[in-house]
Amino acid sequence: MLNIFYGDMPEAIFNTAVYFKNTYEDDWITEPLTKEMIADVDQSIVLDKGIIDSPVLGKIPPVGLSGGVKTLILIAHFPNLIFNASTCGDNCAKWLLKIAEKDDRTINLRHLMNFGNEEFEIRILNTNQVIHTMAELVPIAGLYV
Amino acid sequence: MKGKYKIRIQNKRIRYDFEITRNITIIQGNSATGKTTLIDMIREYHENGMDSGIELSCTVPCAVLEGKNWKILLSSYQNSILFIDEGNRFVSSQEFAELIHESSNYFVIVTRESLPMLPYSVEEIYGIRNAGKYGGLKRTFNELYHVYRQDTMEGTICPEVIITEDSNAGFQFFETVGSSRGILSISSGGKSNLFTAILKHKAEKVLVIADGAAIGSEMNKLGYLLQIYTNIILYLPESFEWLILKSGVLNSREIDEILESPSDFIDNLEYISWERYFTALLTKRTNGTYLAYDKRKLNPAYKAGSISKKILAVMKNIEIS
Repeated sequence: MLNIFYGDMPEAIFNTAVYFKNTYEDDWITEPLTKEMIADVDQSIVLDKGIIDSPVLGKIPPVGLSGGVKTLILIAHFPNLIFNASTCGDNCAKWLLKIAEKDDRTINLRHLMNFGNEEFEIRILNTNQVIHTMAELVPIAGLYV
Repeated sequence: MKGKYKIRIQNKRIRYDFEITRNITIIQGNSATGKTTLIDMIREYHENGMDSGIELSCTVPCAVLEGKNWKILLSSYQNSILFIDEGNRFVSSQEFAELIHESSNYFVIVTRESLPMLPYSVEEIYGIRNAGKYGGLKRTFNELYHVYRQDTMEGTICPEVIITEDSNAGFQFFETVGSSRGILSISSGGKSNLFTAILKHKAEKVLVIADGAAIGSEMNKLGYLLQIYTNIILYLPESFEWLILKSGVLNSREIDEILESPSDFIDNLEYISWERYFTALLTKRTNGTYLAYDKRKLNPAYKAGSISKKILAVMKNIEIS
């Protein structure tokens, strides 16, 4: 399940782009999940471990990926760390839910992300409540951001 | 610094065209829209000029504010446009909010986080969108768009409750208007309390009136409330004082000119946000007249039928009946 702490969380890794730059491993980039996320969010194709083909920027290294995808990759590969997922746009929301489908993940959000119109399962850690829709999420999470 | 500034920045692959109209602009939106690429290009041009291979067109200097030495950097810029990428914790600090008040610079901040200490306008929250290819089909053309559009939030409503952010003259005006129509009026006592005030009345038909000029930090959560509760309408004039100025009750061509293009008149060193300027302008222009304006206590003249009608007429698409 996806656990979210809303609001300021000093222990969360805030600058995810810097953390990614200094910790990512080449093999992560060619994993099926990473390739899917890059294709969906960045509209880019992974050519090899160190090369991604972006329709706008041309051939770029992994550090040239969007901030959102970099954060998703970190969340997928560091299950015990908490990242500031407000570096992710709404187009990353479904991937956050997918990453947390099999194993629990905890993220920090400093804004209200749109998790879509479908039902989902998220635990809001501030109140320890499990919610399933945006209509349930907004009145609770809105008090903390 | 006063005025609007057109910025065009481009390299071989990408081009951005946009205009900055106030001292604080927020850029947010989906991932992979080019926010960080924009900041990188600004930084590279600032460091290397034309040698960067980037072309930048703007009548004032553009630079990037970042890192641990941001305070030293900030003190070295005047009358410039400073861009701040996400990942800089200082943007939500009290210290940054205080230093912005003393700065002549304009700030463009990339963040999805609400920054309640900064008075930014709902009008100055943008996303970046791809407007297609440009020229020889190689360069992508990016532009800014408003994340929140006022016309999507307005509507005809017969409210059961009016909630104002204001607790002073603005509230007193709408309380008078509401009571004559049997409508309950409530002040949330500030923008940060609007969310909880609205939730308390979510089952009723609610008209929320707040200062658009400084409500930016609340828009993320208020926007979701509007989507969930369709019985809630949000009306965001620049401020209550702007409504009065706009209504024409002062009958001044000079005021009309100011309202036509406030950027040309409002110096951010003097007024951190537009609503403060409009309060000062209204107070000054009515001083010594029967319309003498006091923000703390509404002059009864504004409650009079003809003047009240003129003020309410400014609220296009909003009907209080």
